[in-house]
Amino acid sequence: MNEPTPVSTARAEAEQLATELIGDRADGWDLAGELPLDVLRELGGKGMLCAQVPAAYGGLGLSSAENGELTAHVGALCSSVRSVMTSQGMAAWTVERLGSDEQKAVHLRELTSGRLAGVAFSEPGAGSDLGAMTTTIRVEGDTVVLDGRKSWITVAAYADLLVVFGRHGSGAGAVVVPTDTPGVTVERVPAPLGCRAAGHADVTFDDVRLPADRLLGGAGLPVDWLVTSALTFGRVSVAWGCVGILRACLRAAASHAATRQQFGVPLAAHQLVARHLAELHVAHEASAGCCERASRGWDENSPELVVSAVTAKHLAAGHAARGAAAAVQVLASAGAHDGGPVARAYRDAKLMEIIEGSNEISQLLLGKHALGVWS
Amino acid sequence: MSTPTTEQDTTAPAQATPTGQDAAPAEDTTAVRETLTAFLEQRTKTAVAADVDLFSTGLVTSLFAMELLVHVEQSFGVQVGGSDLTLDNFRSVDAMTALVLRLRGGGDE
Ligand SMILES: Cc1cc2nc3c(=O)[nH]c(=O)nc-3n(C[C@H](O)[C@H](O)[C@H](O)COP(=O)(O)OP(=O)(O)OC[C@H]3O[C@@H](n4cnc5c(N)ncnc54)[C@H](O)[C@@H]3O)c2cc1C
Repeated sequence: MNEPTPVSTARAEAEQLATELIGDRADGWDLAGELPLDVLRELGGKGMLCAQVPAAYGGLGLSSAENGELTAHVGALCSSVRSVMTSQGMAAWTVERLGSDEQKAVHLRELTSGRLAGVAFSEPGAGSDLGAMTTTIRVEGDTVVLDGRKSWITVAAYADLLVVFGRHGSGAGAVVVPTDTPGVTVERVPAPLGCRAAGHADVTFDDVRLPADRLLGGAGLPVDWLVTSALTFGRVSVAWGCVGILRACLRAAASHAATRQQFGVPLAAHQLVARHLAELHVAHEASAGCCERASRGWDENSPELVVSAVTAKHLAAGHAARGAAAAVQVLASAGAHDGGPVARAYRDAKLMEIIEGSNEISQLLLGKHALGVWS
Repeated sequence: MSTPTTEQDTTAPAQATPTGQDAAPAEDTTAVRETLTAFLEQRTKTAVAADVDLFSTGLVTSLFAMELLVHVEQSFGVQVGGSDLTLDNFRSVDAMTALVLRLRGGGDE
């Protein structure tokens, strides 16, 4: 064995722990629509749910590239747990990006010690158009007051903390809200199509009063600016999650096609079936390559990372959605059991085309970028 | 907000040694301004005067705003955290130049 760097050890251990804790339980969690809280707390307490948080704050300090591989590993096992990683990672990154030294010291510690967090942008009237947010964050002396309603917040049903975005002054702001604060009501979204166990919930904030130091920095910036940073993290994470979905699909489709016989030969000997495997392979390679590029940009703090993140998310989500459909096709009735790996992939991947910038919103952003660069 | 020249004139000479750069304040200002202008002009394909309001002219879109932030951090080895993340600090090349010089000279990590 050649000696791995300390950071690689952290990633390898994290992947091993994920394999042990998740194992083959994802099917049952999906059917039940619930993740065991002790599993989430254990993953969180090991710093795995936001593994890029620096060691100084109790995190694993993984690079984006390493955390990406960890995210894909978890994503191949269970997209619901991977969704929790994406949300908690976004929450942590938002605190790291916008928070003061004191806020980072307090909240990043919480997020690496087993407390769970989600991030709330979306509202009933503000989905793709986050500029239409009506949630308000206002400062009254040494108190910050939050009013509004957020929808479809991943992890919210399990969360101890939510990072909530809202209008503030002439722009927007973000506050860290403990979910046990009076005035916070969490209502679970019933029967989500995919990532069923990720704890999606609608959350109401009714005259929620918090100490003013819960308001993160950057308050007053335009909403676009404030959310882009969190969304960029989310896009890289979702994209790697899609790489994981494609790996799960490749594994299931290839092993099924190699063993199941029809017309006297394994399915893989039929060229039309082999084509599905080839296209899945290409989808995985293209998605992983795009993710690696985005993560490299992240790790080098290069401005290209912002567009690379949208590109990776858009490409990987589309490949995952089509790849999962192809995997169900290859397994046919063997893949038609709800809760099974390819059935989950099929439902989970479709939602990846909606979150963190839908296909259409990604296309609008990339279209504008292409015009700027190539015209 | 303090103006770039006065703040830089008083703080830069004392701070020049630790970074190993003995550039005079005026040259430093020019270098920062030129780097920022080059990035903006390359990305917007427009001539960008140092005092033009980047937001009211619509030159800066949501994605580009973050690219600009990352560019400032990467090119000048500074971290723009919490309370420095204001629209005014990024409103123009002049404003960003002042921010960079202050963060470089400020000494707090
Ligand atoms: C599984 C899941 C998890 C989620 N987790 C979170 C979370 O943790 N936090 C959070 O804040 N939100 C979360 N959301 C909400 C998610 O961010 C929104 O669903 C998403 O932004 C899209 O908004 P919408 O559903 O209101 O669709 P709409 O905005 O109503 O869009 C409907 C359709 O119209 C298209 N469309 C909209 N505007 C345009 C346009 N200008 N041009 C072309 N097409 C357009 C969209 O692409 C989409 O196809 C989650 C959603 C899901 C499904």
